Amino acid sequence: MSNETSLNKTFFAGIWDNNPVLRLLLGMCPMLAVTAAVKPALTMGLSVIFVLLFSNIVVSLLRHQLKPHVRILMFTLTIATAVTIADLALKAYLPDMSAALGPYIPLIIVNCIIIGRAEACASKNGLVVSIIDALGMGAGFTLALCVLASIREVLATGKWFEMPVMPDAFVPWAGMGMPVGAFITLGLMLGLVAIINKKKA
Amino acid sequence: MSNSQPKNPILFFLQQSWLLMVSAILFGTLLASLNYAWSPKIKNNETNKFNALAGGLLTDATTFETALKSAPIDIGKGKTYDVQVKKALNRNGNLVGWAFVCEGSGFADKIKLVVGVDAAFEKMAGFGVLGSNETPGFGDKITIKPEDGGFFQPQFIGTPVAELTLSKIGNPEKIDSEIIAISGATVTSEAVVKTFNMFLLPIKEKMTEEGLLQ
Repeated sequence: MSNETSLNKTFFAGIWDNNPVLRLLLGMCPMLAVTAAVKPALTMGLSVIFVLLFSNIVVSLLRHQLKPHVRILMFTLTIATAVTIADLALKAYLPDMSAALGPYIPLIIVNCIIIGRAEACASKNGLVVSIIDALGMGAGFTLALCVLASIREVLATGKWFEMPVMPDAFVPWAGMGMPVGAFITLGLMLGLVAIINKKKA
Repeated sequence: MSNSQPKNPILFFLQQSWLLMVSAILFGTLLASLNYAWSPKIKNNETNKFNALAGGLLTDATTFETALKSAPIDIGKGKTYDVQVKKALNRNGNLVGWAFVCEGSGFADKIKLVVGVDAAFEKMAGFGVLGSNETPGFGDKITIKPEDGGFFQPQFIGTPVAELTLSKIGNPEKIDSEIIAISGATVTSEAVVKTFNMFLLPIKEKMTEEGLLQ
């Protein structure tokens, strides 16, 4: 297998085969909490991509120096630094979005996707593979967040990205903007992905 | 300790943890630098948000100046919340009211409010929500402004600065110390009323002590 094919495979694994949310069931907390609308979901997704990239790059570069008993501490230190940078940047340049996302940006520190990729990929692979893995996993996470947020925002408010998309006669489903809407929609999405993969297999 | 480990425990500790210590110093420096660079902008954003919310409550105000830098308010369980009271001035520099930020525990998270009070500190000018994570469709109705059809916030416009009570039934249009709760969000409504009761009168007392009120 050529190097390019291998990198493509790594990237697209994050999008579908190993999608962190829809296949690995990681990162469920932000998936349920920040998907009432597309804007916060996209901001969360981009923040996670930044943190994943930062963490994978640092861990990959230091992988030969990492001693087994301090590696988790090192991962946590790296992730916490990246999350704090993302949090400060949002507060400085997107204050409304920072307020809307509330505690969920700082909570990226405990997102299993980030530490999972540091352990499973970046600590064992070179820089290029780690970067591609971070981009693939981050894109897969962002895509899943945006799909769930799109369904919820359209049904809860009749809008998509704050733009009206439903006819005037549409009656908004308030429940879709609430946690119950997140659980039901995510359950249906997971079921759909399982059916598609069963058919493929 | 195995044979491969050096006899000097300090040397052994440094061998095992140098990377962690160096990284902590580097990352700490990076964060300190970014914080130093961005903190004026973050502070400016917070001030703008406060001014926008407080300006919406005290409509004659054009500027807000710090009047009381620190007023520690007892919020129970041995904790205090430090309030900064700002005076609202109109175009001619006359006092038109007071504004401050206070905080209470809501249903899901802390509720941060901006409160406006008239110049005599006798009547409220209303409140705005600086931050809350209350339940969408229920508790988050506290964030709906009067001009957007909210029924909870208008109850605090012209309300006397006194001990407030919460009631589940009543006429929300009647302006007095009885606040009518949001249906389905009693906990959030209680939290707002409790926050007002916790802060309003103690702040008035502190301002009187400081000679800011007659």
